[in-house]
Amino acid sequence: MSGKPKVAICWLGGCGGCDEAVVDINEAILKVVEAVDLVLWPVALDFKYHHVEAMQDGEIALSIINGHVRNSDQEEVAKLLRKKSQLVLAFGACACFGGTPGMANLITKEDIFDWVYRDAPTVVNPKGNRPQPKFSSDGKELTLPEFYNQVYSLKQIIDVDYYLPGCPPPPDLIMNAVTAVLEGKLPPKGSTLTPHKALCDTCPRNKTKPSRIGIKDIKRIHEIEAEPNTCFLVQGVLCLGPATRSGCGEACININIPCRGCFGPIEGVEDSGAKFVSALAAIIDVESEEDTKRVIDGIDDPVGYLYRFTMPTSILRKKRV
Amino acid sequence: MKHFKPKLVCFSCRFSWGYLAEDAGLSWQTRNWVPVVCSGKIDTTHILSAFKHGADGVLILGCPEGDCHYQDGNYEARKRVYLMQRILESYGIEKERLEIRLSVDPEGKQITHYVKELSDRVAKLGPVKKMIERTESGSAV
Repeated sequence: MSGKPKVAICWLGGCGGCDEAVVDINEAILKVVEAVDLVLWPVALDFKYHHVEAMQDGEIALSIINGHVRNSDQEEVAKLLRKKSQLVLAFGACACFGGTPGMANLITKEDIFDWVYRDAPTVVNPKGNRPQPKFSSDGKELTLPEFYNQVYSLKQIIDVDYYLPGCPPPPDLIMNAVTAVLEGKLPPKGSTLTPHKALCDTCPRNKTKPSRIGIKDIKRIHEIEAEPNTCFLVQGVLCLGPATRSGCGEACININIPCRGCFGPIEGVEDSGAKFVSALAAIIDVESEEDTKRVIDGIDDPVGYLYRFTMPTSILRKKRV
Repeated sequence: MKHFKPKLVCFSCRFSWGYLAEDAGLSWQTRNWVPVVCSGKIDTTHILSAFKHGADGVLILGCPEGDCHYQDGNYEARKRVYLMQRILESYGIEKERLEIRLSVDPEGKQITHYVKELSDRVAKLGPVKKMIERTESGSAV
């Protein structure tokens, strides 16, 4: 084997978008491959987990892990990579905060199984079969990973060194992160490898914002014809820019879609949804009790909008049942 | 739940509530009483943290409408409370557990009264549902 640093890229509960984002760095990936030895990348290369198991502890220089943890298999892989790696990078919104699948923390494991194996209109399951973690037949035992009661972000399962949020992370930040590791120019452990400002700070529409925003009604993006250059909040459309970290290159804003918060909370903030509630309350321009109730009751699914990517790492984390 | 005594947290604005009262006496009567400089200063994370740490209810006392020392802190607080009630409901915490009152009471006598009132209502709801901590055994590597 060469003396090049070893890098593993792995998905847990991810959609594959983050792996695709790695490929999206285009020809720069050739330089990366020249500089490192890829030892695991289930989406793209045919290495097996037992190859990783055979390695010595700390032999892998960097593990880039995307996706959340919701079953025992994902937890096992996460722990294996932690043991074999010097550095672990939580890659993408799911690994950093639980991501969109984290919204499943608002329903129970039983609700999910009932829907998938009984109630969904396309299901035909007359015997009411449900997947079991263990099944014996002819003296042989088959196993399936255990499905957990809730979604976990990576840091709730293993020790994470660095974070790179986004759904998916943009190519320039991926290259910066990989270069920083290769050159050994890393910030303190636990840092997020993005700018530390709020998205509003870097948003091109910021200059159209009046000194004080006042909205009388909250609308959804499909209900209006959004002005392409005006701040969404001024137009009465919820945009999570004030409470979300910048670094995404304003990808959504540039195609006239408000920010949904995939970069998660700003430095030092635990719960971006709660912070957005404060920001939103400040710009709702009504005084009477009825008007306040009318405007706020008009918001469809506030928790789904405010915690779309961050539910498992929010202060309350999960629905109480 | 006959002997259930709800744990409440009460945030109150200094300008309208209890500024003539003796702090020590009032805090002795009302546990978890947190006087703040303005109800608009009460952050949403304070409310969430209270529930996370096991509060069964949270009461916020602000100045009467139009009387905020800082112009509109009480209105801001009220908007936040209504938004938080919707968020809390989604998390399985009944909205009745979070209440805001905009009024004035320099001697702070009503603070204990309102805390008792919310306490009685919360007692009917029972203790706040706890988040089930991790039950999976997990894998050992």
